[in-house]
Amino acid sequence: MNIIATTPAPHYRKAKPLAALLKVYKGLNTLNSVVIIMSEIYDPKKTIKIENVVASTAIGTSLDLPKITLQLDGADYNKERFPGVVYRTKEPKTAALIFGSGKIVCTGAKSIDDVHNGLKKVFSELKSMGVDVMDNPEIIVQNIVASADLGAVLNLNAIAIGLGLENIEYEPEQFPGLVYRIAEPKVVMLLFGSGKLVVTGGKKTADADAAVDKIVEELDGLGLL
Amino acid sequence: MAELEKEKEIEKSERSKIRESIKLRKEKEKVGAFEKPTVECPECGSRSLVQDYERAELVCNDCGLVVDSEFIDQGPEWRAFDHDQRMKRSRVGAPMTYTIHDKGLSTMIDWRNRDSYGKSISSKSRAQLYRLRKWQRRIRVSNATERNLAFALSELDRMASALGLSRNVRETAAVVYRKAVDMNLIRGRSIEGVAASALYAACRQCNVPRTLDEIAEVSRVSRKEIGRTYRFISRELGLKLMPTSPIDYIPRFCSGLNLHGEVQSKAVEILRQAAEKELTSGRGPTGVAAAAIYISSILCGERRTQREVAEVAGVTEVTIRNRYKELAEQLDIEIIL
Repeated sequence: MNIIATTPAPHYRKAKPLAALLKVYKGLNTLNSVVIIMSEIYDPKKTIKIENVVASTAIGTSLDLPKITLQLDGADYNKERFPGVVYRTKEPKTAALIFGSGKIVCTGAKSIDDVHNGLKKVFSELKSMGVDVMDNPEIIVQNIVASADLGAVLNLNAIAIGLGLENIEYEPEQFPGLVYRIAEPKVVMLLFGSGKLVVTGGKKTADADAAVDKIVEELDGLGLL
Repeated sequence: MAELEKEKEIEKSERSKIRESIKLRKEKEKVGAFEKPTVECPECGSRSLVQDYERAELVCNDCGLVVDSEFIDQGPEWRAFDHDQRMKRSRVGAPMTYTIHDKGLSTMIDWRNRDSYGKSISSKSRAQLYRLRKWQRRIRVSNATERNLAFALSELDRMASALGLSRNVRETAAVVYRKAVDMNLIRGRSIEGVAASALYAACRQCNVPRTLDEIAEVSRVSRKEIGRTYRFISRELGLKLMPTSPIDYIPRFCSGLNLHGEVQSKAVEILRQAAEKELTSGRGPTGVAAAAIYISSILCGERRTQREVAEVAGVTEVTIRNRYKELAEQLDIEIIL
């Protein structure tokens, strides 16, 4: 009795995962050989990767930006181009936009923890410069951008009709992706022909999961995945 | 408000009537049983039927059979032998149109200084008439909305003329723009931008899509602005336009390249196959169309260079090369240069 254990080869991910695998191993699946497929069915939710987290906060006092620019190492301030100081932290890699009103926006972080760590660094830097920073300023996550892969090529034309032309935006002349706005969770999804997708506008990491769940369910229902 | 609603209602019912009549006509064409007898003699099969208006009879010119009798003459009951007479006898004005801000329904005092009997007006009252004419012209545009429409519709007409678009596209564009005005979508956007995007939408509705670049060339706003405004109004008005198909561009690009009909049909065939294999999703329709034309021009022995095709389609040569490689590979087309 032969036992063949296998994981799906990467290129089968592009096709319908399980069906394609069974087809390949059908020839072997005779009486004396058992095929064990080690990996479970391809799950798009496992490919979700947070690409960017944007958060805002306020330290409670107004700031003298030119002075801060001089004292902060690597800070960038160009009044004509942007009305705030751009301060980039290395570890974690984020960029903090510090405004004169004392509000700070942190972008470029790859996780919510990174946002907090990055902002803590900025706070301590400011404190060491003699700025009286509020104790534990409230940090509000404004936007989370995540990417995922559905693992199958998409026919965007069919999806556009399937999801309803009033719910989507698909203008291949202007942008190759299909824009799908959903209310619950309130996010915007960009679907691409390669099967990759971007979820943006969420406030929680769970929003991206829920959105991917929803789109997979809807596309499955339409038979377009 | 109620009046507006009513107007809309009427507009809607009129449109549905027109739609129904078109449907009916199409069905008739399918059945082919209703219209044919009037163009073909049922006795001898001759197609030369003559309408005899004096006897109100439809007569076959070959065998003399009276096919139809006592039909209604729908023409005017008066006769005119030249333009002057026609102007004098006609009791109607130009048909109603959406392309004029007052739908072409308001009155205009014409430039001739003649009264209703055709006598010339005395020099005394001429000055008065001049003044009246001026005020009549001014009063035609009664409020800000009208002024907006007047400007936008003339702008629409200018762009449509520059692009050589047909009447029905202009009418559709005007209707789209009017809807946008009714829903207060113009506020915060430039009139030119909304007009240009209304024209873009109308072209797509009428299945004669123009690229954003073409529209941008004749308008005073950038392509980006038009695209943005188009997306906005199409969402707000719920235009529900299908993404443009590359096939719609083929005839225009082919004639721009002086290619024969054979090349055209070959290109369309390639695109059909490409659509089946999902090669068009997420690709710009003009690029795909250009590549299909490029391939079919080679296959039919009427080669056009990538640069020539790119020029006409408004895409880059690189785009054509990429699309053409995809198409050739996926559709198993052997191309020998």
